[in-house]
Amino acid sequence: MRSTGRRLLAGFSLAALLACLSPSMALHAAGHRLHPRSPITLTYWWWAESDVAGADKWMRQTVALFEKAHPDIQVKIDIQGTDNLISNFQAAAAAHKGPDLATQWATIPVLSQAWAGALAPVSDYVPASETKHWASTIENTYGGKLWGMPLYLIGIPVVYNKTLFRKAGLNPNKPPRTWSQFLAACAKLKAAGIIPFSMGNKDGYGGAWFWSIIGKSFLNSSDDVKRAVVGKTHFTDPQFTGWLTALQTMMQSGYINDDVASLDLNNGFGPFARGKAAMAFSTDANILGYAKAMGEQNIGVFLPPQIGSGKLSTWYDTTQSSSEMITSWSPYKRQAAMFLMFMHTPERLKALYDQTGAFPADDRFNLRAIKDPLQRQLLSWDLGMRSVWLENFVPTQIDLNGDQTAGETITSKSGGPDTAAQLWERTARQWRVTNPDGLKHFTGWIGGAI
Amino acid sequence: MTDPVNVIDSAARGLSYARRVRRGSVGAALTPYLYILPAVLIVGVVIVYPLVTIFQESTQTLSTGTSQYVGTANYDLVRTDPVFWQAVRDNATLLLAVPILVVLSLLFAVLLFERVRGWRIYRTLIFLPYIMAITVIGTVFGLLYEFDGPLNVALRGLHLNWLALDWLGNANLAIPSVMSVIIWRELGFGTILFLARLMSVREELFEAARLDGANWWQVQWHITVPQLRTVIEFFIIEIINMMSGVFNYIYVMTSGGPGFASQVLEFYIWQNAFAFRQGGIAAAAVLLLGVTVVFIFLQFRVRRGGAVADE
Repeated sequence: MRSTGRRLLAGFSLAALLACLSPSMALHAAGHRLHPRSPITLTYWWWAESDVAGADKWMRQTVALFEKAHPDIQVKIDIQGTDNLISNFQAAAAAHKGPDLATQWATIPVLSQAWAGALAPVSDYVPASETKHWASTIENTYGGKLWGMPLYLIGIPVVYNKTLFRKAGLNPNKPPRTWSQFLAACAKLKAAGIIPFSMGNKDGYGGAWFWSIIGKSFLNSSDDVKRAVVGKTHFTDPQFTGWLTALQTMMQSGYINDDVASLDLNNGFGPFARGKAAMAFSTDANILGYAKAMGEQNIGVFLPPQIGSGKLSTWYDTTQSSSEMITSWSPYKRQAAMFLMFMHTPERLKALYDQTGAFPADDRFNLRAIKDPLQRQLLSWDLGMRSVWLENFVPTQIDLNGDQTAGETITSKSGGPDTAAQLWERTARQWRVTNPDGLKHFTGWIGGAI
Repeated sequence: MTDPVNVIDSAARGLSYARRVRRGSVGAALTPYLYILPAVLIVGVVIVYPLVTIFQESTQTLSTGTSQYVGTANYDLVRTDPVFWQAVRDNATLLLAVPILVVLSLLFAVLLFERVRGWRIYRTLIFLPYIMAITVIGTVFGLLYEFDGPLNVALRGLHLNWLALDWLGNANLAIPSVMSVIIWRELGFGTILFLARLMSVREELFEAARLDGANWWQVQWHITVPQLRTVIEFFIIEIINMMSGVFNYIYVMTSGGPGFASQVLEFYIWQNAFAFRQGGIAAAAVLLLGVTVVFIFLQFRVRRGGAVADE
């Protein structure tokens, strides 16, 4: 009896609740019909400022213009830090939840996310008539699809201070071409009391640059790196230890600033920028900054000296550096692609160049707008030479705990090339054991793009 | 003598309770369990569930999006990974800071307690680092410790060139340099803790010792240290606990480098879990670490129990 009473009470309560809810539900539904659809929001995990100063400001301007042109789409920019760029996206990919658009460094950081199913192919949403204008797309092409959009190009030649060259008795108009000429120049500069080469490697990136720029001359193609990653060859082989020996020679000869191990990559440019060091690896945009600060007549650039005799020794090191991706979980892939294309409109490309000095990765960028001889020289190398950036071809784990650690071992003087190469190889071995799927993709990639 | 009426009463009450239980009043029997249920649930969610999940993850490898069962492979990888053992060694090295901190904190506390000239300013200065964010401290010391940074510039200015070392760039100095920053920051906590306890010690004890002819060292050894014993024990446990969580210092100051020279377990676990997406390796390292800590704790308890029994 009591049970029946309770059931009746519950029934009345439910009916009352539904009665209360129904008007509000009806209103809600009416609201949907009465008001136009609210704008959708694209969340964009953006990174570029560390590469090209002024990129964040350009992006904010680009978003404002895009939203004006497309009132039904809003773009929310979430600026990412360098340290967490990969790990943040990996966490989002694991949860299959996060941004609609995101930046990652080119090639492996992009392709590994594509292999993990975290990306939608850009080429599925952007027509070929558009992507054919984009430069360096080969860096992110896999399985016949494009997985990341290039925005700007970065070439890294050697920049030198002509005044310091002159002071050391070197011809400022005849920079070194070969490795022996380079070392001879270093010796003369050192004898004149000048730091020959400026670099920072506390964070390991200086070493990774040294490998990508100098070490590539020992290799015949990027496949050599892929083979070592999958274990068909080894990072202890001479083709991978040559750069470590070269770096050690420079350290032991006192050709690199003595605080190399306590400065990170960016601070490592300091001695050059302050006019204390004669040479440094530097990006196009940074070089233009030095030219502005120190006077263009005092700044020169030359192609990285060749030390090895591999086929890549004649290649340059231009890369798109970072790439823009559409996530697989985004419900707004088409709108995300529209924003990507908007970034490549001629007006936005010109603004990117004007505001950052970075060369846009698009053949629609008006090259004739560039009059400055230094800029023309840099751009001719970026666009005219075949290029590869080796660091893009190793998984993050092998990059951080492999080539970067190997370089740190040399610059901190805690070991020689053999020890450093063994650390690199050991990391690669560990990666192979713990990444069976990655290993499969890498093995299938050999003989593929680039 | 026991009152027979009371005995009968209480027996009747017991019988009545037993009957109630027997008659299906299961609720009454379960009442105590219901009281502890929320606590059990919280412990289950906060401790047991994560532990089970970590154990489960430690037996799997997460490659490109899919998990595969690998048995004890992750444990073998961690056990044979020299970087893991480097991290263990570095954590152990950092424990050297514990006695240094205790001694320095005691010394400063005693000096402040004795109201040396300007003690109020010193007290503020000593405590100030403790309230600063570790990331700020790490960044500032990262700059101070650069090879051509302010510290070495000052040392060279004093003609102490031999002492101007590459504090964070040298593999042998990275961990001691980080340790020095930890000591600098935590000193304030220890000093204030000891000072607070010292201020509650009866002044007569010190006076009596002095009247008995005890010198300064004897007063500290026979009065101060015994009076502070419990606080010292608390501080030691706190510092050991803190020393196993030095991730922030390492992340900001050295990122585990140069090479692997300043790896600590937290950094090792973080790097595997988040930078390399090797959750299985990270989970195995967590459990190995947990088992080791429990083992040490049990051994400590057994020894302590033995010592008490001997007494």
